[in-house]
Amino acid sequence: MKRKKIIRTTVLALALLLLGAAGFVYYLFHIPHRDVGGAQADFELSASSLVTEYLATHQKANDKYLDEEGESKILAVIGRVHSITEDMNKQKVVLLKNPGDKAGVSCTFSLANNKTVEKLQTGQTVTIKGVIRSGAGYDDDLGMYEDVILEKSTIISIND
Amino acid sequence: MKKQLLIFGPLFALLLLAFTPMAGKWVSKSAHISFYSHTAVEDITANNYKALSTLDPSSGEVVFTVPMQGFEFEKSLMQKHFNSNKFLDTKKHPKAKFVGKITNLGAIDFSKNGTYNAEVTGELTIKGTTRPLNEKGTITVQDNTINVKTKLPVVLADYGITFSKGKPSTNIAKEVEITLNADYQPE
Repeated sequence: MKRKKIIRTTVLALALLLLGAAGFVYYLFHIPHRDVGGAQADFELSASSLVTEYLATHQKANDKYLDEEGESKILAVIGRVHSITEDMNKQKVVLLKNPGDKAGVSCTFSLANNKTVEKLQTGQTVTIKGVIRSGAGYDDDLGMYEDVILEKSTIISIND
Repeated sequence: MKKQLLIFGPLFALLLLAFTPMAGKWVSKSAHISFYSHTAVEDITANNYKALSTLDPSSGEVVFTVPMQGFEFEKSLMQKHFNSNKFLDTKKHPKAKFVGKITNLGAIDFSKNGTYNAEVTGELTIKGTTRPLNEKGTITVQDNTINVKTKLPVVLADYGITFSKGKPSTNIAKEVEITLNADYQPE
């Protein structure tokens, strides 16, 4: 009688353990992607100062803004809309670049937020928030300046 | 009069040369790079739309820079592992780069619409390791755009990306396939 009970509880415990493990693995595989749009910006600065920071101290800027696991800093950047284009994934790309700056801040929107870009016009001063992917710098091989790249962008405000 | 011609003549000629429309560089800010890993356990795909490239039709020089943190995976955990210092270490090596040259430039007429087979030789740098790369690609000239497409295998171990045990060793192929599609515009 007692033996049967031991076996039954052991089987039950094992089943619960397995279920727990399966649940955990399922969770790991389905961790949602970071919600950049819903998150608070880590830094708020002008396109000019971000570019200047990168051109002056590239390595230091990377240490400051990039994250080891790719969950890099979310930046709210204020600048002048220089151009509005589309990338190969049909995502809208707004380049914030103030006159006289050697490079700008390229802000890519997600397909879900593409429509919000329709209200923007070149020449406007706007604030856009996004996650940084890489910084600005002059590339000798390309023979040109690379812009700061932000993705998963959202419009925070239209300043003028 | 003669003296002035002597001075201004060659100066003028030089100026004319400087403004002669020469085949300038073409730039691509519209590129798609994806990589695909196939194992019996699972298939992994990642996409990057933020690569930057230049192509010089007169010299055949081609350069690509790829911001590694721009690779998007379906599974967030996989994306974190990809960026971590155990794999691509993207904080320390935020960009991958290819610098090369089209070796059969004579076979490609950039002024005539058409599709051409191109052979490219160069160097690929991933995670700070540079290796020679020879590949074939397709160049399509259509009015005012140039398109470049190529597919190439990359052996991860060649770039110092190895795993001895655990999930990565079984779930990631030793050789991944990189697909590239880039549209160029005159600079």
